[in-house]
Order: sequence, then C-alpha cells, then structure tokens
Amino acid sequence: MKVKELADKLGLKAVNAYKDKDVESVYISDMVSDIITAAKANSLLITLQTHKSLIAAANLVDVAMIVFVKGKTPASDVVELATKAGIGLFVSEADTWTFARKLAEIGLK
Amino acid sequence: MSACKHRWSMTNIRQGYLVIEGCFECGARSSFFSTETFPPIDEYQEGKHFWVHLGNYQAVKFDLVCDLCRKTVNLSDMMGLMLSTCQDSDCEVARLAKREGPGAWVYVALCADSTHRAGRCVSDEGIEALNRYFNQNIKAPGKKIIVVPCRLCSSIDKCRGIVIADTGLTDLDAQTAQAERQRQRG
Repeated sequence: MKVKELADKLGLKAVNAYKDKDVESVYISDMVSDIITAAKANSLLITLQTHKSLIAAANLVDVAMIVFVKGKTPASDVVELATKAGIGLFVSEADTWTFARKLAEIGLK
Repeated sequence: MSACKHRWSMTNIRQGYLVIEGCFECGARSSFFSTETFPPIDEYQEGKHFWVHLGNYQAVKFDLVCDLCRKTVNLSDMMGLMLSTCQDSDCEVARLAKREGPGAWVYVALCADSTHRAGRCVSDEGIEALNRYFNQNIKAPGKKIIVVPCRLCSSIDKCRGIVIADTGLTDLDAQTAQAERQRQRG
C-alpha cells in the first residue's frame, strides 16, 4: 500500500510534502535507539516523540512515513528535516493502540 | 582477504546507557557504555584526570555479522551515531557532505574519546561494515548513507549534528539512583 492511499484510508493529516513510497511494514517505538536496530526500510513508524533525533534515526533506516499519535505536532525544523529526507509526516488524534488497530482493520499487518 | 560479498545483520544487541564524563582538571571528555540498571554517576580520580558525570542517555550497542560467511565485526568502540549538519568549510565531514550532494546523508560514528589523544577511534573495518549495512537496506532511489569515524571531524566537540540518542527519558531514574546512593553513603 502507498503512503497516500494509507493516509486517505485512515484520514490522516499530512504535515509536510512527502514522497509516495510503498509501505511494507509497521513499527511502533518512542526510542531512537530502538528504531535504528528494529525498524525496517519503507516502514510506517508510529510514535509519540516529535524531536529531530527521531528523524535522524528514521532516515538512517529509510522509514517511509511517520505517524505522530495523540495529536502531537512536530516543530518546523523537524518538519524541514523530514521533508528533505523524503519522509512523510502525519498526525493522528488516536492513541497508539487505537491507531494500530485501525491499521490492522484496513489490512496492513 | 575474504571473497565474501558480505550481507550484514545486527547481532549482540545490548540495551544500556551511554554515560558521558568530563575531566574537571583539563576539560577532556570521555564516554562509556553501561548495562547497569541505573547509569553510574560517580566522580573519581584516574591518573591525571578527575572525571565528573556530565550526563547519560539510554542507548544501544550492537555488532554486525555477515549472514553468508558468519564473520563478525565488533563495534564496541562505537558509542553512537550522529547525523552531521556541519557546514564548517574547514571540516572534512562538511566538505564530504557537500561533495556527495543532496541524496547523501553523512552520519558520524562517535568513539569514546573525543580528543583522540590515544590515537584510537572507531575501526576502519567497523566503518566499512556500517556503510554496507545501512546502504544494503535502503529502498529510496538516489539515497546514500555515508558513515565516517569522528576522527574526521575538525572538532567533534564543536561539530554540529543530531545525535541519535534517547535523552531525557531516564532523568527521573538517574535522580532516583543518585538519591539512593547518597542515602547508602549516609
């Protein structure tokens, strides 16, 4: 499933201009040290963290898109870095568990 | 020389703390990885240095193993990774990023001793394996990860970058540990 299709199905609010990559897996983490060892290329990352270090880690492992749950919105310098890296940033008002369930409901596992 | 076209995976992944210390006397900085439940914050004399705890953050260490020939590269000399945003024209890391263009992302592999006075840094073998590992998994066309050792920075203490670190998450743990140690000392 592509980033745009996924965002449309889930009603996500895009924070930046993004590249419409294939999304091949999902990873949930709020720790950058965990992301660099476990997240996969072209994955959807679900997190509460909105700092720059998160983008540095996501870019290293080639994450396709990041969804900030509970309505968290990143600062402009974070958005700028993610845009440069081609990583789509999205905001969901749902909490992590609720959002993960929505992903399963639309067939992403 | 091995003929194997290595295909690297992470192995021996350890969770812990990166502890940073500074010398009260000469201003040198040093760091080490701890797997203790609470990060050590003790001050102590070591030769001419008097080390003072400057900070710590949750971190991970790992080695790389080749899926094909089972060769392992030990990365215990690497304390962390930093995405370089350096624009100092006197710094080789900044010049490299500029030369490589917009699709290249330069990450600095940080060793324990920022002064490099002992002549040690992250090994060449480790740097080569890290480069292959991170690039073999990239799917974005035109994107390239370049990992360089921190000895390439003109000054790692002044170098601009984004350290991949979980700062602040365990501040309460550290305060608890400090209070507990002070209580035990009476």
